[in-house]
Amino acid sequence: MKDSARHLLMGAALVLLVVLAGCRTEHRFVKKVTFEKTNDIVITFAGPVDAAWAKNVDNYTVFEKEDPDILLAIKEITLTPDRTKVTLHFKNALNQSRAHTLMIKDIISEGKSQGAAVLTVKKLYLGYLFSILIGAMLIHNFVFTKYLGLCVFFGTSQKRTTAVGMGITFTIVIVFASMLSWFMYQFILKPIRLDYLQVVVFIGLVSLSVQAVDTILRKVNPALFKAFGVYLVLVIANCIILATPLILADKEYNAWESFMLSLGAGTGFLIALFLMSCVREKLELANVPPTYRGLPIAFIVAGLFALAFLGFSGMAIF
Amino acid sequence: MDPVLVKMAFIGLGVLGCIGLVFGIGLALAAHKFAVKINPKVEEVLEILAGAQ
Repeated sequence: MKDSARHLLMGAALVLLVVLAGCRTEHRFVKKVTFEKTNDIVITFAGPVDAAWAKNVDNYTVFEKEDPDILLAIKEITLTPDRTKVTLHFKNALNQSRAHTLMIKDIISEGKSQGAAVLTVKKLYLGYLFSILIGAMLIHNFVFTKYLGLCVFFGTSQKRTTAVGMGITFTIVIVFASMLSWFMYQFILKPIRLDYLQVVVFIGLVSLSVQAVDTILRKVNPALFKAFGVYLVLVIANCIILATPLILADKEYNAWESFMLSLGAGTGFLIALFLMSCVREKLELANVPPTYRGLPIAFIVAGLFALAFLGFSGMAIF
Repeated sequence: MDPVLVKMAFIGLGVLGCIGLVFGIGLALAAHKFAVKINPKVEEVLEILAGAQ
């Protein structure tokens, strides 16, 4: 009991350390530098700075860390009344997924110099990964906003248990297949300039991973195999599983980002299937006009879900 | 034909062929290693039954 409490405390301390290390900047007088909106950078100082110094555009040099020769033009600088927060407004929108370097000349506070500072501005990477996950799961849900994978979606959403089974099988297979395709694309197809064959290769890899999971699971875990049943083979017929590697190749994601996107695509499909099966189970009992019974009403319900998911569009996390 | 393009095409053919071969052999080995014995009588009985359901 005492041991576990100590472990918990140590874990908490570690998390705190990481968080604090993330907040620390490279200069003692600068508390925080963050991106804001689309083209602003906000610098928070530890004390009030000189207004005349702060408003001078020549005191700031900003560029993307990888392109130091392209300086970003500052349109205007604003200062809060307590003179501790400086906001740099840029002429063009910043590419916030890349790290920026901000150089400040000789900070002057209350008539005293605090020295120059070289700072790095970047988004929290974990937050970025999380935003990819949520984005693929809800904001750009593959079924409801991109209309992909519809045949499997309508085929297996009649009962809740089958829907959940299909969703979980699909999530496992899509993560496996996407990571395999990502590896193939980045390390084999791209170096020998065969990227125009990506569709063919990805189809092969998807069926390969489905076949491999099928063969291995049949022996290793027959109970799970029986639970998955026919859905495992049905996964091949789903176009989300082909769309995800194509998106990964197009956006040049790295391994973690690819993992998050494929996980989001899988869980998004699981959510869609679960929601749809809940409604369709209730629809069995409803008094639907004969012409609409079965698939037609299911399509209408899917359209309503798509409308509801449209409410997520344009949302930005972190 | 540009020899560079011809070379690229042949490299592509070779590499994709190799990948296909490797994965094919891999799957065959996996199928062999993880083979599940199915009672042949199951099929015989299914054959005799009417099969309406």
